[in-house]
Amino acid sequence: MKDEDIKRWQMTLEVGPNASVHDIKNSYLRLRKLYGGGSIVLEPLEDEFPEKRRMKILVDLEEAYTRLLELHRNRTSPGRPAGEAAEAMAVGEGPPGGPATEPGAPYAIEETVFSGPALRRVRERLGIDLIEISKQLKLRTELLKALEEERFEALPEEIYFKTHLKSIAACLDLKPGKVVEDYLGRFREWKRAR
Amino acid sequence: MANTSHIAKEGEIWAVGGGKGGTGKSFFTSSTGTQLAKKGRRVVLVDMDIGGANLHSFFGIGRPQKSLTSFFEAGSKLSDLTVGTELPNLSLITGDIHSIASDNIKFGQKLRLFRQIMKLNVQNVVIDLGAGSHANTLDTFLIADKMIVVIVPEVIAIENMYHFVKNTLFRKLKSTLKDYGFKEIVQHIWDRRQSYGIKNLKDLIEYLKASFSYIGTILDSELANFKIHIVVNMVRSNQDILLGASIKSVLNKFLGISILYSGYIEYNDVVWKAVRERKPFMLNYTATGCAKQVETIVDNIMHGREVSVPGG
Ligand SMILES: Nc1ncnc2c1ncn2[C@@H]1O[C@H](COP(=O)(O)OP(=O)(O)OP(=O)(O)O)[C@@H](O)[C@H]1O
Ligand SMILES: [Mg+2]
Repeated sequence: MKDEDIKRWQMTLEVGPNASVHDIKNSYLRLRKLYGGGSIVLEPLEDEFPEKRRMKILVDLEEAYTRLLELHRNRTSPGRPAGEAAEAMAVGEGPPGGPATEPGAPYAIEETVFSGPALRRVRERLGIDLIEISKQLKLRTELLKALEEERFEALPEEIYFKTHLKSIAACLDLKPGKVVEDYLGRFREWKRAR
Repeated sequence: MANTSHIAKEGEIWAVGGGKGGTGKSFFTSSTGTQLAKKGRRVVLVDMDIGGANLHSFFGIGRPQKSLTSFFEAGSKLSDLTVGTELPNLSLITGDIHSIASDNIKFGQKLRLFRQIMKLNVQNVVIDLGAGSHANTLDTFLIADKMIVVIVPEVIAIENMYHFVKNTLFRKLKSTLKDYGFKEIVQHIWDRRQSYGIKNLKDLIEYLKASFSYIGTILDSELANFKIHIVVNMVRSNQDILLGASIKSVLNKFLGISILYSGYIEYNDVVWKAVRERKPFMLNYTATGCAKQVETIVDNIMHGREVSVPGG
C-alpha cells in the first residue's frame, strides 16, 4: 500500500494517522449514515451536487474502510487471526442506518435503501436466480417477485413476510435488520397513503 | 472589496457571524470576549450588527453614551469610542444605534473602519457581525484571523450558514484574484456557469485552476488559510452535537472548505435569564454547562483544536 493511498483513505474517513480500529469504525458508521441520504445537513446542497456525487462518496467510504482495516490487521497481527480489526469488520446487525452489508461486498455498495428493486439489483449482481432462492427458502416465486416489484397489495400480512425478508437478506449476504427496516418503512408508507 | 492584507495588525481579530438571526451570535461574542478577558487578555468587542446592535445589553449597559454612529457621521476615532465593562481589560464599541442601513457604508468608510479595527491597541478584537450575508458583513468576516459561525440545530440555520459560507468563499476568491489582475473574470465565469458546466464553487475553483495554471498555486496557498470555525449553539441531544461534525464533513467533501468544529453549547434557560437580569453570563453563571462549554470553545479556537464528538 502506498503512503498517498493511505492518506487518501484517512481523509475520506476523516480520521488521523493514529486512529484506532474503534475510531475508524465509528467514523465509518457516522459518515455512512450521513451520506446515506435524508440528512438536514445535505438537503440544502442537493441542487448543486448531483446524486452521483453522494453515491461516489459512499463508494469511497466503503473502500477506505476496508483498506484501512486491512492495514491495521497486517500491522497488528501478521499471520494470526485479526482480533480487533476482524471484530470491527463484523458490523453484524449494528445500529440502523449503519453499513448495509459486510464491508467490501461490492454488489451492494450502491444501495442505500433496500427497496424491492434494490433487492433485485443485488440479487442480479450476484447472479442468483429467483428460482434458486425460491427452492432454498421454500417460498413461491410469485411472492418473491411481488416483493421485488413492490406490489404490496399482493403481499401477505407484515408479520409473515418480515421473516421472509430476513431469510432473503441472509441469502444475499445483506444485513437482515437493515433490509427489514428499509423495506417495511416503504411498505408502511404505502399502507398509510392508502 | 477592501484589501487590507498589507496593514500590520495589533491584536488577533475574531469575527462571529453565520447568516441566520437569533442563533446566539451576540451571546457568544459577549461570552467569548469575557472569557478571553478572564484569561488576562486585553480585549475590545465591536458590535457591527448594523440596525440590530444589542451587544451592550449582554453587559447590562442600557443606553451607551458612545457608538459607531459618531465614527460614521462625525468622523470620530474608533479607539475613542470604547465603553468600559465590569472587567478593566474588556471594553466595548457599541453598534450604530441610529441604524444606518448596511448599504449606506461607503467603500472609503469601510476601509477606514477596517484599518482602525486592526490598529486597536489590544490583544483580541471580537466582532459581532449580526445576521445576514451583506457584502459589508462578508468583508468584515474576511478581515478576521478567526472566522467563526454560530448555528443552531435546525434546517433554516444550516441553509443560511451554507449561503453565508459560500458567499464568503466567493468573495474571497474574487478579492484574491483581483490582486493578480483577474479583475472580473471570476464573476464573469460564474455568471455564465451553465455554459461552462460549472454547478458549484468547487467546480469553479477547479475550472480556474485548470484553465490558468499559475492561478492554481495562488489559490492553493490563499485557500489553505481559509478556515471556518463552527459553533453549534442550543444543543439538546447527542444528535445535535453530531451536526457540527456532519457540517464539517459536508463542507469539506462537497466544497473543499476546511472546517474546525470548535464546540457546542447546550440550550439552557439561564442564558436569557442572565440577559434579563443584565448580568454578564460568564461572570455570573460560571458553574453552568454553558459556561464550561464556552471556555472549551475559546481554548479550542485559540489553539486550533476541535471538540471530540460522541461515537457515531
Ligand atoms: N445556549 C442558549 N440557551 C438558551 N438560550 C440561548 C442560548 N443562546 C442564546 N440564547 C438566547 O437566544 C436569544 C438570541 O440570542 P442572541 O441575541 O445572542 O442571538 P443573535 O444571533 O445575536 O441574534 P441576532 O441575529 O438577532 O443578532 C437570546 O434571547 C438569548 O438569550
Ligand atoms: Mg445579535
